[in-house]
Amino acid sequence: MLRMSGIVKSYGPTRVLEDVDLAVEAGEVMALMGENGAGKSTLVKILAGIEPADGGTISIDGATVSIRSPGHAQAAGIGYVAQELSIVESLSVAENVFLGDETLGFFRSAASLARRAKPYLARVGLDHIDPLSLAEEHSVAERQLVEIARLLSRKARIAILDEPTAALSETEIVRVKAAVRTLAAEGCAIIYVTHRMPEVFDLTQKVTVLRNGKSFPAVETAGLSIGDLIEAMLGRQLGQMFPPRAAHAGEEILRLDACRASGLKAPVSLSLRRGEILALAGQVGSGAGAVLRMLAGVTPIQSGSVTLEGSAYAPSGIAGSIARKVLYCSDDRKRDGIFAVRSVPENLSAPALSAVSRFGLLSPALEGEHVTRIARQFGLGERFLGRLAGNLSGGNQQKVALGKWIGLDPKILLVEEPTRGVDVGARSEIYNNLRNLADEGLSIIFASSDTQEVLGLADRIASFFHGELVRICNADDVTAESLTRDVTRASEAA
Amino acid sequence: MTSQDASQRAKFTIPKTAYGLIAILVLLVVASVTTPSFARVDNIFVVIRAASLTGIVAIGMSYITISGNLFALSASALGALLAVLFALLTAAFGFAAGLVLTLGLAVFCGLAQSLAISLIGNPIITTLAFGTVFRGLAALFSGNSILRIESEAALWLGTARPLGIPTQSWAFIIAALLSWFVIRHFKIGREIVLCGANPKAAVASGLRVGLVTAIACAALSIGVAIMAIMTVSQFSQAKADLFMGYDFDYIAAVLVGGIALRGGKGTPLQAALGAVLIALLQNFMLLHGLSAGVRMTIVGLLVIASISLFHILQGRGR
Repeated sequence: MLRMSGIVKSYGPTRVLEDVDLAVEAGEVMALMGENGAGKSTLVKILAGIEPADGGTISIDGATVSIRSPGHAQAAGIGYVAQELSIVESLSVAENVFLGDETLGFFRSAASLARRAKPYLARVGLDHIDPLSLAEEHSVAERQLVEIARLLSRKARIAILDEPTAALSETEIVRVKAAVRTLAAEGCAIIYVTHRMPEVFDLTQKVTVLRNGKSFPAVETAGLSIGDLIEAMLGRQLGQMFPPRAAHAGEEILRLDACRASGLKAPVSLSLRRGEILALAGQVGSGAGAVLRMLAGVTPIQSGSVTLEGSAYAPSGIAGSIARKVLYCSDDRKRDGIFAVRSVPENLSAPALSAVSRFGLLSPALEGEHVTRIARQFGLGERFLGRLAGNLSGGNQQKVALGKWIGLDPKILLVEEPTRGVDVGARSEIYNNLRNLADEGLSIIFASSDTQEVLGLADRIASFFHGELVRICNADDVTAESLTRDVTRASEAA
Repeated sequence: MTSQDASQRAKFTIPKTAYGLIAILVLLVVASVTTPSFARVDNIFVVIRAASLTGIVAIGMSYITISGNLFALSASALGALLAVLFALLTAAFGFAAGLVLTLGLAVFCGLAQSLAISLIGNPIITTLAFGTVFRGLAALFSGNSILRIESEAALWLGTARPLGIPTQSWAFIIAALLSWFVIRHFKIGREIVLCGANPKAAVASGLRVGLVTAIACAALSIGVAIMAIMTVSQFSQAKADLFMGYDFDYIAAVLVGGIALRGGKGTPLQAALGAVLIALLQNFMLLHGLSAGVRMTIVGLLVIASISLFHILQGRGR
């Protein structure tokens, strides 16, 4: 029914999709899988008309269609439920079901809208809620279901669900899955983006895997093992990009005892040694990032204690953690990691302005020295130094976001998703940089949803699922499969 | 389009300051050719003098914009208040004390505003409210009457022409160079630019965002104080409705100078050039006998055109 072929897309110099094919039949649920940064979201955004493709064709029922705006997509019968829901909280549930539906005309009474919304709500399992109640009174799962009811009301023939269950609990997921089945039973072709293994095997008939912007031919879910799927997602070509592990780690530098913070459902205890790289492995919302944010002083330590080099550590805000030389790189470098409209040198010296100035005046000599040192250490070529940080590729931006901290002689570096949106070549450089820093005595904790990266870079691995620490192992005792099982709850699908 | 094309093109980007200079030169040439009275020395003095006081405030305003706080809408009202206070203080304690105390009060008013901006988070609303407070206080302190001062020193400050150039223009030139130097070479200047470029990244990098807002507000207040003191000195009088309706002029100078609305880009020099450009245009239109309504319309359109132009240029550069 839907056929996308040869789809190509680049963001600036970074090619995110090259020659991607995807086909879905009516009444079929197709899982779209791949690691973070593989291009899943970009692909579905192209189909939904949010991003333009640079090349390739999209055809529906054999006829080529041109989708250049969300309006085109809707007219072609394509419905899209984004990761960030498009529910208007201050409107009623019924109004949300018919949001943007112009066929209803201007004048409609609340009662008639509610009456017309009822059947759609019933089909997604929301028959018990009052269509006139406000959307904000309902849970995230219920809002998700309202979005699916909206797809039903629009008679969408192709539905895209982008990680619909990422923020939901197990019981809520059951309801969403039921609604997806209803949608498929009505003859809708469904593209289902997810990271969760249980849903793939439970819900979908076929799987298309994306890896580094390339697609693999779709395979039947029934004939697939978890092992095959994990292998397809991870690939094997990345093996050479990781530096050797630390020969020996130093003494303990940081210890967490039964710590709780926002985003954690159970207390976390772990320790870190000098020169060690510890990975916190887990998907979005697993709690891996929450531990880093707590240590960085972004969110407060709610209970438990943290000891840094033998003394209590409880940073009040980011400035507090910087003062103790515990430095943090968030997962969103565009938001708070780089100054996009400023030059690379200005970015690199930003946290170290005191060190590069004398009597309140910036010293060009000191700043130049500082910047050159970081640039050399992080492999940022001379030709990048004149550019604005925002005009660099994702990989070089990440080098800037990480490198700016090096000048402060950190004790502990906290990195969330160290290579999100970074191309393969720059990844390998970043891994080597981090390992070199660790060999010089820096301790690093990184949170990542990238299995290969966790396995390749870390000395020890702590896996997280749904706000809880699953286990801590030496990296040598972990395989890609065992780790993927831990962070996706594959055990429940088997 | 490959990445190489993009970087090639980026190399030929003209610095933003140059646009303002080019526009000024074009206007100068056109005006000199078409309007004989334009290029006369005394007319040029009129233009520079007209640009100077607005320009000094625009330079201060550029600190607010570059630091990521958009604009302050309280500048004209603060000017009236400081003018009234300067007149009262000079009458009571003499010129020198009046000068120092007025500058001190200006800094205090700036810091009070920055504190409120940090708490409320919206500079527009905050300064709009402060503007009303300042104008109200100006009326209160002046008793709604014209305050006169008699001071030789003040008169010199308001009307002298060292080396043939009015004091106002000296102040303007010194303020422009000094402000540029602070933004470019001082540690706090770099902090102002970075906080404006990305406040979240600034916080994450341990920069002092609160202090930056305070410095920016204080810089604007000092600019306003200079305008107020010079105006009162020139005419030997102050009243509560001084500078009424001038706020757009300060903002227009910043915008025509091409300083990015979102902050983190541009230098105070651009605001200074913007002020000169608008003054030239005003004078040119005046010599051609255009009515006030036409002049206002054209300046407004110029602001819209320059914002659009810089927006397009910025989009292309990305």
